[in-house]
Amino acid sequence: MAILQRFLLASVFVSCLVATCYGGVSFKSLHPTLTVTATHKEGVLKAGLDNITVTWALDPSAPAGTDASYKTIKVKLCYAPVSQVDRGWRKTKDDLTKDKTCSHKIVAKPYIAGGAVATATWTVQRDVPTAKYFVRAYAHNASDMEVAYGQTTSTEKKTNLFDIEAVTGRHVSLDIASICFSAFSVVSLFGFFFLERRKTRIAEAK
Amino acid sequence: MADINGSMSANKFDLPVDSEHKAKTLKILSFKQPHMRSFHLAWISFFTCFISTFAAAPLVPIIRDNLNLTRSDIGNAGVASVSGSIASRLIMGVICDLIAPRYGCAFLNLLTAPVVFSVAFISSAQGYIAVRFMIGFSLATFVSCQYWTSVMFTSSIIGTVNGVAGGWGDMGGGVTQLLMPFLFHMITTYGGATPFTAWRIAFFIPGWLHIIIGVMVLALGQDFPDGNLGALQKSGDVAKDKFSKVLKHAVTNYRTWVFFLLYGFSMGVELCINNVIAEYFYDRFNLKLHTAGIIAATFGMANFAARPLGGYASDVASRKFGMRGRLWVLWIVQTLGGVFCIWLGRANSLSVAIASMILFSIGAQAACGATYGIIPFVSRRSLGLISGLTGAGGNFGGGLTQLIFFSTTRFSTASGLTYMGAMAVACTIPVAVVHFPQWGSMFLPPSKKGGGCTEESYYSSEWNEEERMKGLHHGSVKFAENSRSERGSRHEIAAAVTPPGYNSTPAHVV
Repeated sequence: MAILQRFLLASVFVSCLVATCYGGVSFKSLHPTLTVTATHKEGVLKAGLDNITVTWALDPSAPAGTDASYKTIKVKLCYAPVSQVDRGWRKTKDDLTKDKTCSHKIVAKPYIAGGAVATATWTVQRDVPTAKYFVRAYAHNASDMEVAYGQTTSTEKKTNLFDIEAVTGRHVSLDIASICFSAFSVVSLFGFFFLERRKTRIAEAK
Repeated sequence: MADINGSMSANKFDLPVDSEHKAKTLKILSFKQPHMRSFHLAWISFFTCFISTFAAAPLVPIIRDNLNLTRSDIGNAGVASVSGSIASRLIMGVICDLIAPRYGCAFLNLLTAPVVFSVAFISSAQGYIAVRFMIGFSLATFVSCQYWTSVMFTSSIIGTVNGVAGGWGDMGGGVTQLLMPFLFHMITTYGGATPFTAWRIAFFIPGWLHIIIGVMVLALGQDFPDGNLGALQKSGDVAKDKFSKVLKHAVTNYRTWVFFLLYGFSMGVELCINNVIAEYFYDRFNLKLHTAGIIAATFGMANFAARPLGGYASDVASRKFGMRGRLWVLWIVQTLGGVFCIWLGRANSLSVAIASMILFSIGAQAACGATYGIIPFVSRRSLGLISGLTGAGGNFGGGLTQLIFFSTTRFSTASGLTYMGAMAVACTIPVAVVHFPQWGSMFLPPSKKGGGCTEESYYSSEWNEEERMKGLHHGSVKFAENSRSERGSRHEIAAAVTPPGYNSTPAHVV
């Protein structure tokens, strides 16, 4: 019996190592057991100005005990497929350590069992690019591995998408500084040129 | 300041000089007029231009989100950044031959500054590509840098001098991969700016560097060992040449075109790698962007020693074997560079990839240095234009390889690297056809027809009878005398005598 226990322990240990060798959790292995909603104003959202209110809860139809391992919920802003076209740095991959679909963190909160609906309000950050998005929440276990998820859109990620417009990054003060330094540069060049021409003309006249 | 009235004794110079008053040694830690000061101004101005041309590369992850760029936009901007200077290097070559390097260099730096500052206004992919294209024009300072050192330093050390100046300038491509992310980090952390504004502010620093170096070149620089061009032309020491002649002698010399091709596969490959290597390491080996940036910087920084090494190897080979040694050194290092590039593409582990990248960088950059150990000898009359054409070839090769191997999804970046290496090896073979009648080529000895060809006959052949009657070719004859070192040690005995009919020292010079 002791030998069997030790063998089981060893195989569990080895399989944990195998899991880390093979990279992260596979998205396909996760079940959509969370119900997630995102509410915001109508039309295009402006980064830095508008808010998104997200809610998440365990799906009432999920069997009991599903959420036993859930410790934290991480809610993220994810790119819709149309915004991933020709942009390899936003590619969707099954291995969640390599997946770049959901690069913007909205909020991370501890999971509260009991089926109550949790909410959070988030102002769209200033470094969010212009694109189409949806919201996804991952449930993490005690070792911070993803064990379940929920998202505001369908499996094909075509419905219920919203647009965010990024900040331009431009400022009037920056524009003015740019013009001033450029003018200085051009004036120095022509200033030197004419000064030297005058000097050689004076030397010639002598 | 050098006395322009004509009594120019060698004592006036801080370094030992030859009959053209070109320095015979390189004293790195000196900043004295005219040789060392020009050397430092030349390489620093070129370094600054490399910094701003590739400044966007490490910041692309931020810029692509700000401007909503696609993969093709990023690829096109990379190609644009090296294509602009194909034309500008040619124009700079002409300017150096006709107007002299100081103004060409300062002009370019002071006019690039406004373009760099204009990143404050960019709001679309088109604007981004246009600005990168225009900043890329500044890479023409390479030509003014190499021309300026070629007129300040003598033939026997020209490989080393051009290699150090070119290498330290090229290093800007590596330094920028560390500098820009550092500035961005400082501006966002301590300046409190948001990322999409911070990258624009970061560009102001290269902009200021352009202004500072441009003003310094005008205020502190000098065109030739004996003074500035305007003054020398008035005193009759330097002839005013015609563009059509300079062009003709550059374009009809077949060696120009061989080097145009060759440089495309040493410098061209290097430019291409500057644009793709960080992303390659990031994607293939799953590194953090920060780590990938450091590896990318290592490639560019190897220029500090690798390019001078190539120039130095060229000079050492020429002491024993003359020009033939220089040609062999070029072929060897450039082929090795190509071979290591093939290996880099095939490397499957991070340590092998880094090792092969370092060897590849040494090979390619030494080849760049070795090339410019030969260029000053191809022509004396059209030195600027040929320097410019070769430099343009480098950019052309860079844009071409980026377009063929790294802008499509037909093959992976790893395969692209392998094919590019193979193409580099194949395109280095033409160096075997470069033949100097007075010195030979890789496989042939010096020509024996007509009682042997001399340096004087080669360089004077660029001037016709009429021009020789006017004495316009004296500069070339002086250069020819000094270039006898390219015969190598075996032919030294015959070297000391100036052949009849080529009295190089005009009467009025002491």
